[in-house]
This record gives sequence, structure tokens and C-alpha cells, in this order.
Amino acid sequence: MMVARPPCRLAALGVVNALGGDAEAVWRGLLAGEPSRLSWNDALVPGRRLLVGAVSEPLPEIPAALARYGCRNNALALAALRQIEGPLREAIASRGAARVGVVLGTSTSGVADAEAAFRYQRANGGLDPAFDYAQLEFGGLAAFVAEWLGAGGPAYTLSTACSSGARALASARSLLAMGLCDAMVAGAADTLCGLTTNGFSALQAIGGGVTNPCSRNRSGLMLGEGAAMFLLTPEAGGIQLAGAGESSEAHHMSAPEPSGAGAEAAMRGALVDAGLAPEAIAYLNLHGTGTPLNDAMECQAVARVFGTALPVSSTKPLVGHTLGAAGALEAAFCWLMLERSADGALELPPHYWDGERDPALPDLHLASKGESVRPGAMLRVVTNSFGFGGNNCTLVLERQA
Amino acid sequence: MSTRAHVLRWSAWSPHLEDRAAWESWAQAPAPLAAEGHPDAAFLPAMLRRRCTPLTRLVLTAAFGALADDEQPRVRTVFATRHGSINESIELLHQVVAGERLSPTKFSHTVHNAQAGLFCIAAGNRRASSSLAAGADTFACGWLEALAHLERDPATPVLFVTSDVPLDPTFAVLVKEPPGAYGLGLLLAREGTGPAFDLDLAGRSAPGAKPWPDAAEFLRFLLAGEPRLELGRFGWTRAA
Repeated sequence: MMVARPPCRLAALGVVNALGGDAEAVWRGLLAGEPSRLSWNDALVPGRRLLVGAVSEPLPEIPAALARYGCRNNALALAALRQIEGPLREAIASRGAARVGVVLGTSTSGVADAEAAFRYQRANGGLDPAFDYAQLEFGGLAAFVAEWLGAGGPAYTLSTACSSGARALASARSLLAMGLCDAMVAGAADTLCGLTTNGFSALQAIGGGVTNPCSRNRSGLMLGEGAAMFLLTPEAGGIQLAGAGESSEAHHMSAPEPSGAGAEAAMRGALVDAGLAPEAIAYLNLHGTGTPLNDAMECQAVARVFGTALPVSSTKPLVGHTLGAAGALEAAFCWLMLERSADGALELPPHYWDGERDPALPDLHLASKGESVRPGAMLRVVTNSFGFGGNNCTLVLERQA
Repeated sequence: MSTRAHVLRWSAWSPHLEDRAAWESWAQAPAPLAAEGHPDAAFLPAMLRRRCTPLTRLVLTAAFGALADDEQPRVRTVFATRHGSINESIELLHQVVAGERLSPTKFSHTVHNAQAGLFCIAAGNRRASSSLAAGADTFACGWLEALAHLERDPATPVLFVTSDVPLDPTFAVLVKEPPGAYGLGLLLAREGTGPAFDLDLAGRSAPGAKPWPDAAEFLRFLLAGEPRLELGRFGWTRAA
């Protein structure tokens, strides 16, 4: 007998990525479905030009009192937070600072700034005095956000590679359900940096040009950066985090289990958690990295759980793979779809690719530009995130009246 | 909604504190932990052991020590480490800055959930797994994340492993914390026979008051049978 979960409202969203510096710009970019905001970078990997999803907007300055947290990753988080500063401050005022917690995800934290500090060390013999360990340690992201907001509840950072951001939302929901907090800031931030670009390049995971998910010509992922920050409250209505499913693969540190069993377990777990049948879902946002292995296992797993009629898309060709932030960013895309739906119609972010089907993969329904669906019932969408070390998390979002 | 968890089993390792009897003596007369040394982790396959960092050996020793064989694939897991693989990342960062090529294996073994991934592979465990950090609150937040797993899946015990090794001197000068290399594994469950604790956020103790890590302080509290522990804002009350 399933007991209904307590409600978890995704009450407000701030978002920044290659598509733009606010929800409106990101939403317009998603529907336009063109990878027009990507940029070439020669500086990240020696001897290699990479197309990346960099954030081009100027980022807010870290307040002087929080200077020890001053790094690009925290500035990305702050750019997202400032978009919802009103509702966040209101939550602190109405619920009490001690009752507001922070659970965030990142895979890079401030490693881009640590690289700069090491460059300074090579030139000057000591670490840059502006560098502080709080920028680099993973816990620093949640500590920064809690201090900036004045939130006095628990604050921690999950780092499970590319599922970090999705997992942060799932854990924040649990903290609300336990009654330990009355509001949560949850989301993720990740930054383009030398460590991850060189690491994925060494793993031969980065393809050439725009990532091309599900295509027979797919050659690898394309990295990006960004942040998405949500305010979560234990209330019904609005847009709900309706389900979360998680799994590990026990397979390999950097390659997914090829049958997609782990991905399938996460998707089925999320549906069970939400108390829904697969038919109740109107759209699925693929992890869709564009690597040969990910797309092969994910398409098989999606087809086994949902069949091939469900509209799906990968949004990574538009923004890049933002690693630990991806789960929160793609939940943000789902949130925007639900929030901007009208008269029961859901406009879908199109799947940008070269249109060359891979005959080895199930023939999934890849959403095309301008496509919308009208499920005729409550609007519910799913997003997949699969990480290094075989760490998977699938979320279900639902729009209530 | 409950914030209660039973400690079904525990396992801990620190240099010179390598078995239960040693920890029980330590709990009677606690002292700072030693920083040098790591377990041999002889139970691991040689291939895996050869690639293990000191942190990985500590984590896996604490993890497997807290589990019966048939529990290994069945638990959810939470891995809490403040510094994770940052000592190994330093080498990679120097290579990045020098424009050198990275080892793909080293890169994939320095992610914060590297030990989680290795545990799942070694244990054949396909359940949910979290890895986290929270600065000086890492132990308490790891416990909290374990409770979060019990909240969404009350029937499945959670293996909570917390571990750290001394930070490389490059960064150690920037961080104030008690010394010590350690790994602690706690098998937590909603129901069970071990002592039960309710977590609250009403703690009033000064953070970092003890000259040993929070994980060791919790173990001391557990073994001493005391009614309440506060670590910063986090409080544990032993259930009657």
C-alpha cells in the first residue's frame, strides 16, 4: 500500500546557463531549439578547440563580507539566486531563518578558481592570497548560499557527479517531509574549468562540435556551465516535485552499464515514488549526453519503461552538459514547461540533432521544433540524470491546479 | 515524521585504533587521532586494492566492516567526506596548469563519489547512493542525508560512511580542523535492535569544540551510552 508523499512545491526558480541569464531568456532559447549561444574555447584543453556552453552574461559580484567564497561557481549560483531573492527573503522572514535549509549539488565547486590560484603559484611561488579553501571544498557552495541568504538550517552539498543536482532536489524534499525544515533552497551550479574539460577529453568523451544525441553520428558530449536554484516549500499546488528514483550501477567508474538497467531502475523508482503509471507522463528530458554509450543504454531503458511514443528530447545541444548542475538545470527546464503551459498544452523543447537515426537504437519520439502535447490530464514530466560511478537519479515534476 | 535512526552496527578505523576493543578503550580516555597510516584492506581484490588511495582504503574498510555479507548489496549508502579526493586532485590541477595530459583513470577516481562508486562495484550494490560534503558539519549532514534516505525508503537500511584523511599541506594551512585519519561506518535503520537516536536542530555547542573529528566524538558518545550529544546546531538524543 503506497502512502501518499507529503507535498513538495517547487515554488520559485532562478536559472542561468548558455541560453541566458534569466528564466525568460532560457525559456525562449529552449523553444527556439538552436545551439546559437555556444562558443569556441581554445584555452581549456591544450591543442584543442572546444565548443562549449559558456555563460556570457556578466555575473554578480560576491559581497565583500563573503569574499572567501569568491569564485565563478558561487557567482553562477548567486546569479540564479538573485532572480528569486524576493521569495527567498520572504521565506526567511515568514518561516524563521533556522527553519530554512540548503541542499545543493556541484561536481566542480570552485576548481576553476583553484586552477587560477595554482597558475599564480607557478608564477609567484605561493598560492594567490585571494584564494580560500572555501572556494574549492564541495561544502563551500551550500555554505556560501546559506550565509548569503542568512539561512540557519542544515546546509550541505551533494556531489555525485552528473546526478548531483537532481539528487539535491530529492534530498531537500526529504528534509521538508521530515519536518526539519519549512523551506529549502535546492539546486546546483557547475563551472567550465580545466580539470573537467581535460578529464573528459582524456576519457575521449568529448565529441566534435555541437553534441548530437541519439544520432548514428554522435561522437561525444559538449561541456557547459550554469546554475539553477529552486525554493522548495512543503505545500500543495503549483508545480510539485512528485517523485524521485535513484539507483547505482555497480558496473564501472566512468562508463554506464550497457543494458541501461541502472537507468531503468531509476525511472521505474521515480514512477513508483510518484504513484504513477508510465502513461501518466507527457514528456521526458533525456540525460542525452551524445556519447555513444549513454545514448545507447538510455534509449533502450526509456523504450522499456515508456515505450517509443512518449515525446522526449535532450536539451544538452543547447546548453552543453553542465555536469553536476545538469540535473537541476533540466528540472528547471521541466519546471518552465509546466509553469508556462496554458489550457492544458505543453510546449516541448525540441531535440536538436542531425536527424540521422541510429538503427541500433529504439525509435524514440524525439520532439521536434514547435511541437506541443495536450495530455488531457494533469501535466507530468520526467527528467533523467546519470553520473560517473554509476549514480542515477530520475525526477517527476507535476503541475497541479 | 520521524528523525529517528537505530544504529544496527558500526565499524571504525584510525591508526592505532583498528578494532572494537581499541575504540572502546579510546572512548574511556579519548585523545586526538593519529594522522599517519591507513588500513591494508586485505579483503579487497588485489587489482582494486592497488589503485586505492588512503581515503578509499579507509572508506571501504569502514563500509564493509559495518555490513554482513548478505547486507552488502541491499543497503542504501551515504558517503560523507569533507575533503574527498582533493589531495589527489592537487596533482591533476598541477598537470592542468602545466598543460599536461591527464590520466583518465586518475580523473574518474577523483570525483567526490569515487569511493561510493568503488563500494557499489565491490559490493554489487545497485541501491541509491549519496556523496556529500559540508565543511565542519560534514558528519552531521551525512547523518541527516542518511535520514533523508530513510524518509523516502523506510524499509531499507542505510550504510552511512564518513571518512577523511589529513589535507595536503598546500591547503592544510588554510583550514582549521582536528587532526586525524579515520573512517567510520554506521548501519542505520528505521527499525531494529541497536540504540536509537533522534536528530534535532536545537544544538547549542560550539562547533569543533573537541580535538578529534565529529565522527570520533559521535562514536565516543555512542559507546559511552550518554543521553545527548550536540555538535554545533545538531543534537542527538538517545531514545529510551
